[in-house]
Amino acid sequence: MLFAVVSMVAVGLFAGISFGTYANSVHNLYDNIYADDEEGTNLADVWVENTASTWDGEIADSLCSEIAQNWPDPELPLVSCEPRVILDGLMFHSEEGDEKLVPAVWHGIDEGWIDKVWMPEHECCSGRLAAADDEIVLDEHAASGMGIEVGDIVSIGAGHGSMDFTVVGIGYHPFHLYYALEGSILPAEPGTFATGYLSDSGIERLANLSAGSANLLLLDVEGTPEFDLQSTDTVEGESLSQAISYVRQTVMDADDSSFTAYDRSGVDSVELLRADAEGASMSYPIITGMIAMVAGITIFLSLQRLIQSQAREIAILRTLGIPRSAIMPGFILAPVAIGLIGSAIGIILGTAFGGPAMVAMYEEIIGIPAIGFSTEPSLILQNLGIAMVVVLIAGIKPAYEASTIQPLDILRGQNEVRLSSRGIQRLTSRLPTTVGLTVRSSVRKPMRLVFTFFAVGLSMLIFGTMSMMMDSMDNLVTGANQNWDAQVNVPFGGEGEVIEWAEENGADFESMLVFPGNAEGDTRQFLAYGLDVISTGDDAMIPIDLSEGQLPTLGANTPNVLVDEGTMLFLEWEVGQKQTVMFGPFSLEVEISGVTSGEISRTIYFHRSDLSDAIGLETTSVLLTLPEGIELDDEIGEMSVGITQRQDLIDSFESLLEQQQGIYNAILGLGILIAVAVLSITLLMNLSERDSELATLRVLGAPISRIRMMILGEHFAIGLIGGILSAAFTIVMAQYLISQLVQWAFYFSLQPNFASTLQLILIVVVISVLSTPIGTSRVSKMDLVEKVKDLSQ
Amino acid sequence: MSRPLVSMNGLERHYHMASGTVRALDGIDLDISEGERIILLGPSGSGKTTLLNCISALDSPTAGAYSFDGSPVPREDSEEMTSFRRENIGYVFQFFNLLQDLTVLENITLIQELAGGRDEARARQLLELVGLSDEVDRFPAEISGGQQQRVAIARSLAKKPRLLLGDELTGNLDSTTSAMVMEVLVKACQTEGITCVFVTHDESLVEYSTRVVRLDSGKIVSDDPIG
Repeated sequence: MLFAVVSMVAVGLFAGISFGTYANSVHNLYDNIYADDEEGTNLADVWVENTASTWDGEIADSLCSEIAQNWPDPELPLVSCEPRVILDGLMFHSEEGDEKLVPAVWHGIDEGWIDKVWMPEHECCSGRLAAADDEIVLDEHAASGMGIEVGDIVSIGAGHGSMDFTVVGIGYHPFHLYYALEGSILPAEPGTFATGYLSDSGIERLANLSAGSANLLLLDVEGTPEFDLQSTDTVEGESLSQAISYVRQTVMDADDSSFTAYDRSGVDSVELLRADAEGASMSYPIITGMIAMVAGITIFLSLQRLIQSQAREIAILRTLGIPRSAIMPGFILAPVAIGLIGSAIGIILGTAFGGPAMVAMYEEIIGIPAIGFSTEPSLILQNLGIAMVVVLIAGIKPAYEASTIQPLDILRGQNEVRLSSRGIQRLTSRLPTTVGLTVRSSVRKPMRLVFTFFAVGLSMLIFGTMSMMMDSMDNLVTGANQNWDAQVNVPFGGEGEVIEWAEENGADFESMLVFPGNAEGDTRQFLAYGLDVISTGDDAMIPIDLSEGQLPTLGANTPNVLVDEGTMLFLEWEVGQKQTVMFGPFSLEVEISGVTSGEISRTIYFHRSDLSDAIGLETTSVLLTLPEGIELDDEIGEMSVGITQRQDLIDSFESLLEQQQGIYNAILGLGILIAVAVLSITLLMNLSERDSELATLRVLGAPISRIRMMILGEHFAIGLIGGILSAAFTIVMAQYLISQLVQWAFYFSLQPNFASTLQLILIVVVISVLSTPIGTSRVSKMDLVEKVKDLSQ
Repeated sequence: MSRPLVSMNGLERHYHMASGTVRALDGIDLDISEGERIILLGPSGSGKTTLLNCISALDSPTAGAYSFDGSPVPREDSEEMTSFRRENIGYVFQFFNLLQDLTVLENITLIQELAGGRDEARARQLLELVGLSDEVDRFPAEISGGQQQRVAIARSLAKKPRLLLGDELTGNLDSTTSAMVMEVLVKACQTEGITCVFVTHDESLVEYSTRVVRLDSGKIVSDDPIG
């Protein structure tokens, strides 16, 4: 038991230091990589994105001049404005003779002062920036995923055929540090996504653009101003928000193009890294505290057990005149010693193994080097402080109880006399007495049981949350209910060729219009999906999971839309309301006919014709369902500006699961071990308190088989109650934790399924029932002669 | 002459201690006939409780013969010893040892269930016999020590034992209550036709017995019928 308690404290410290090191590292990484200095990438502070076309060079330059001319805030001076090109496209990758179409994003970089390509002095990166129009810097994620090195030739496209480029460098881009396909929160499986950084002339050649064209303006202001977090109602970065409003108005006055302006919170990749760092910083003290609390409860229960077994000795000492003040320190010292020994072990393991392992896992999953991470002394002190406070608090009550033992009560056996609950007696009076006794014994010490269930609930929460999150995310991420194989993005007006290809190859298809927008008076961006078939059934390529309201009516005077539950929550919208949404300079009043669930990104569904009427575009993508034996080929690759294959999303999720399997199993094992320790202590205490009772029954001739059944029944009852409470606690707490972690950029709600819930309950029941042999062995080994002496003296 | 219920010949029980071997029972020869009420008297350490434990098959003799109703009493297998107690022995403790979570009635029905069959009518009849028919639904903590001991007596009779054993069963009661408990016990044993063996320090209980056996240093020093 001592080993179990020390281990629990050690595990608390180990987890706290491991997660803390991870949290601090990702925080530092986030700050350092995006910093406005020589080492950092000088992340833009404001992006102005043309969502429908490109500006020619003259317009792009004039927009920058206009913005700079009347820049509103002298305290937040504009340093520079840089026009850029960013395009969706494809990489035609050949691997072992197989041609593969890899969705891609290509950046054209001119001056390159803002959103710099990050090429730290590290084995990850090599080469130089692209200068000529046939050179490219390939992202390290893609290069390592596809086995490409500096000097290799790659074939890429952006809707105008394929062209060859020479890889002159390998590095990272601040837009793609978190390396995921647009709209996905999962890191892309190696080889399923590519990004590259070309010279301005290079991208102009690739996309057949005139010199100086741009579809993105990067604005850099001095320093790193506060920005508005999308998940909160408060405005954290007022100055920057005012600057964005000014930029928006200026661009709107100067040009008719559809555009959007946003700060770093509107860039999913940046926001995910920030949210991850923030979530890690928030959660590691909670994890340490939770495990320390479980350890505290275990220490509390163990000390009570110790006092219970030493009650007679303490009573004798008190009878002999030993003062309370001499008894109490011994019981305070025990948790202090346990806390210090456990902490020392946890600190050593966490610093030497846990922290580095967590950071290595981060590097593995995110795919960027965590340069210069360390476990800071303040982190160790903080975790040690949490653990010691919890174990000390756990030790105070038992120590006080030990010092206030009434010697006569103990020596006369009066401490065992108690009045049972009349209510429970009435409830169980019609049951056979053995069953009634089992039930009453199970709930004999309600406070102890509450503590035990709380501790078991906490230990189950640790892994239950993870398991339920994985289950919930599985459907969301992989779109298990969806009926398309590939989403082919097309240049404006380019859908006809793709549809022709689909018809020639016998593929089912559906045109789709996807366009970014925002609610009036709100800068946060959502994606409007215009679908031809809006249905909850399999007749739709993207079936709708309608959680409230009804499907939208086609061609209503006020266009009907479905809004995802995350958008509804953050914007506080309700079904039936009419709201105004903005698509660049165009505004449109819509009526919310229903709410959908299952979307990670913020999404509003329109009938495609309704959306098309509003923004003047017909199609941006074509969804394809491929017949058996038909695969995407170069022909469709050359006519598209990006292809997403659903199988890649599934592979990415499975790969993430595989990467996390070790830690998942470790957390699972940890949760179970803690639950075993806590439950065993309580059950053992319950049994030892019944020693005289069970001895009496044995002396009176109760067969061990009947006693075994009674103990089994008691343990099953405790396990079942504990399992149900733990599962309920886990679901409620996991939902709460997730509600605290969701962001505008990624929202999901926990959908506990029956199998996960049952698994939680069964684990607790099994742990409880498996401790029955300990109990029966204890009873069968009982020295009845000694017990009779106790009972008769 | 009828066969004795309990028959012991040269019974010995030795304990091996650090200080040497203690001969707790040292050659006990004792026959107990059905219907007898025997009181075992003797100073502390004389072997009274050890003898009681051997009679009830809680403890196994080191040497000697012990038969119950003509059959050898099991002394190796703990479950056989438990079965022997369940089928033949009733036991009353000094501190009553009632189950606190069960009512007076349930304390008796529990033993019946564990012995193989619940018989609530008999349980109520036994409580009436010991004068507690009004307390059936009370918890042990709600009744007096004397009443608790009477419940313990009723419990020990619940499965119709042939031999009732008691170790200092009035040791925790005042003299008035002790007398009341003993009267109830004698009446119950006579009604049920049960043989009794009690260990006590209290010479005043001799009046409730039919025979007094005195022990010292593990040997029987006197064995006298009463009246």
